[in-house]
Amino acid sequence: MSRITLNVNGKSHTLDIAGDMPLLWVLRDILGLTGTKYGCGEGSCGACTVLADGEPVQSCRITVAEAAGNSFTTIEGLAASGLTRCQKAWLEEDVSQCGYCQPGMILESHALLRRKPKPTDQDIDQALAGHLCRCGTYPRIRKAIQIAAGAGSKS
Amino acid sequence: MKTRREFIKLAAAGSGALVLGFRIGLGDETGEAGPFAPNAWVRIEPDGSIVIKVGKTEMGQGVRTALPMILAEELNADFQKVKLEQASPGLLFRSLGTGGSTSMMGMWYPMRHAGAAARTMLVAAAAERWSVPPESCRSAGSVVHHPASGRQVAYGDLVADAARQPVPQEPTLKKPAEYTLLGSSIRRMDAPDMVTGQAVYGLDFRLDGMKYAVIARPPVLDSEVESFDDAATKKIPGVLKVAQVTRGVAVIADNTWAALKGRAALKVQWTDSDAAGFNSLDHMTALEKATEAPGVTIRKDGTGRAGMAGAAKRMEAVYHYPFLAHAAIEPVNSTVLVEKGKCEIWSPTQTPNTLQFVASQVLGIPAFEVKVHVLLVGGGFGRRLGFDFDYEAVEVAKEMEGTPVHLVWTREDDMRHGHFQAASAHRMLAGLDASGNLAAFEHRKASTPHNIYRAPTEEQKNDPAAVIGWAWGVYDSPYAFKSAEMTYRAVDAPMPIGPWRAVFSPSSVFARECFIDEVAVATGRDPVELRLDLLGRNDESVPETFVANGDLIERPRMRQVLETLKKNGDLDRKLPKGHALGIAGNAYHTGTYVAYAVEVSLPFNVHKVSCVVDCGLVINPHGVRQQVEGGLIWALSNMKGQTTFKGGRAVQSNYSNFPITAFGETPPEIETFIVDGGADRPNGLGEPTVCPMIPAVANGLSRLTGSRIRSLPV
Repeated sequence: MSRITLNVNGKSHTLDIAGDMPLLWVLRDILGLTGTKYGCGEGSCGACTVLADGEPVQSCRITVAEAAGNSFTTIEGLAASGLTRCQKAWLEEDVSQCGYCQPGMILESHALLRRKPKPTDQDIDQALAGHLCRCGTYPRIRKAIQIAAGAGSKS
Repeated sequence: MKTRREFIKLAAAGSGALVLGFRIGLGDETGEAGPFAPNAWVRIEPDGSIVIKVGKTEMGQGVRTALPMILAEELNADFQKVKLEQASPGLLFRSLGTGGSTSMMGMWYPMRHAGAAARTMLVAAAAERWSVPPESCRSAGSVVHHPASGRQVAYGDLVADAARQPVPQEPTLKKPAEYTLLGSSIRRMDAPDMVTGQAVYGLDFRLDGMKYAVIARPPVLDSEVESFDDAATKKIPGVLKVAQVTRGVAVIADNTWAALKGRAALKVQWTDSDAAGFNSLDHMTALEKATEAPGVTIRKDGTGRAGMAGAAKRMEAVYHYPFLAHAAIEPVNSTVLVEKGKCEIWSPTQTPNTLQFVASQVLGIPAFEVKVHVLLVGGGFGRRLGFDFDYEAVEVAKEMEGTPVHLVWTREDDMRHGHFQAASAHRMLAGLDASGNLAAFEHRKASTPHNIYRAPTEEQKNDPAAVIGWAWGVYDSPYAFKSAEMTYRAVDAPMPIGPWRAVFSPSSVFARECFIDEVAVATGRDPVELRLDLLGRNDESVPETFVANGDLIERPRMRQVLETLKKNGDLDRKLPKGHALGIAGNAYHTGTYVAYAVEVSLPFNVHKVSCVVDCGLVINPHGVRQQVEGGLIWALSNMKGQTTFKGGRAVQSNYSNFPITAFGETPPEIETFIVDGGADRPNGLGEPTVCPMIPAVANGLSRLTGSRIRSLPV
């Protein structure tokens, strides 16, 4: 067991924990932040995506020891001060079917718009390439990202 | 310890409760102060809140939006004031199963009846208060009006009086022309929770003191635990207990990771299994061989296969369809608390009533002592009509009496140990007359029937009435042939086979619609025109409707869908070099008609999809479009991945070797045309849009390569 400190959604946590535990399970089982989803455990579905200092990372692929000292934002933290433009666009376009993969999609899109405020469809396909949706909501995600991009740089 | 055989016996017994009926329990008025609850489906609070019970599992198909819309329409409720409660099995809710795209048609009457009864009582209460005839009152937006005097009163202010009104047994239902909510596009009720991470799926359910479990299952089908060594497992920090259960060895721990590490450290000896010799390649050969002779006849048009004798030219082709996992992003899971002769289950299940029975059998307690909560499902697709994971969770929780246990399946568990869609072979034969007209037709299907509830007996496998359902998509072909024979042959396989999106029909429709396209090419016919002819467009001897296995097939509706595709799909447009159009259609058993025109290029690109759908009365057009988009993208996955078996083991284990449609493979252009075929009730759409998309794409690609695509994946 190791003593590890990490910041999640602006809150600092010090945990006595197995250092090899993937961040995904720390978020879900230890911190109770179940908005970060488990889908594959191998980095091929993107459902577990969180933001590490603003950059999207797959939380199933990093251990809590590797995560130590960093700041993470999960879907629960994204809307801390009101819905972001991506979340609003997701509602406007009514993207979700089962909705399970959407937190990962939204966080990835949020980071994309920070990086590239006016993404092309190709940019979107590239950025979201690592995200799977079994319900097939991809066309609506594309539209939602364009709606969010049109909403301007304010997040 | 229970053997696998006993498990199957229990599963068979449990299937009795799985029948998807439409029986609902309508309670009496409560007569109590407080909320007005005229029946089991709706409750109106004094603050005007309308609480509607949802009796179907939400797994992305939109029932938690569409079903409340139906009730709210009849209630004349303010939809903004609607709140949802998920129904739990019990005396009032005896058949909550969700499957077969039957939610809309099954709940259409109960939801309307429940809403109309409540509305009638609210209006009666207001009329009584004003001493006017109820007929002189109107209701809208959760308010009762008396136009003559200008008086009005909100539903919330009527609850106490309404509860004293007699419950009408046959309340007057609204006419479609009076609908104000149905037919309008309403966004998902659960969407705000979904985009903020607040939505609770099965895997997200948490209880104080809850422990986490995983199970080591045999890598080879039908194998069982011979012995195990858990010494290393017990040294892993956080591991609490190791216990043998029916299907393997459970590791229970403080968190998922500790349980997974504990499982990895387990040393299990598995028994030998007869299934160790099973390979899916050999199975495919056996399936094909089973179609060499006709199977059990399930439909005969004209003189049946005898019609083939007079053909001037014969065509023959064999189609293959693989085993497939469901691959929903949320793996299956279940949370169970066993305590003091009672059991409580929180599960992302499609079959909640069955779980009461399953737990009662495992624990030896009455079914009414089992409380089941239906949670949001992160993709169902038929996987959660299985109850194997709930069965396991109850067994594990029994080992931890008094402590809630959350059973997690990993992605690998989910892909390898669930039930599968059956592989199948289809031998298609066509006889053409001297003028090149299709005069005779045969479709011989061979596959493995569902076996997760109750494997069919040898007698059933030869009984036309029993096998017909397994040939879904064959017996209900909307086309009329001068002579045709459809047959089915059951071929055993050792893996669990059960429901999957569109059940038995995707493979059948793939073979049928591709082969019709082969005939069109061979005879120089336009694929839409040929289909219209086969639907009796110019032939009065072809009946407009027919009933197959209890399903009504209406040819005019199928024709209208194809005619609309012709009119709106811009099928004569000039295509870029290297592009081709593929056409296919299908009449789904629930009364939903779908046709596609798909523009494709090699090797496997889909540029544009035009879809025409007649799904009966439309509740939520927006939901219809979502299901079209989702269904066709699902179908593209259907052409990419497969599950194979080697040495009795499922080979594919995760998305890296079981690929599904990815973001960049989404067709850039999708257009959906919803047509009104005159039906006075809604029909299902979760499954029907899947089936014809696969052959439409295959037909387009085949036109580019010149060689036919007759097996999947492409």
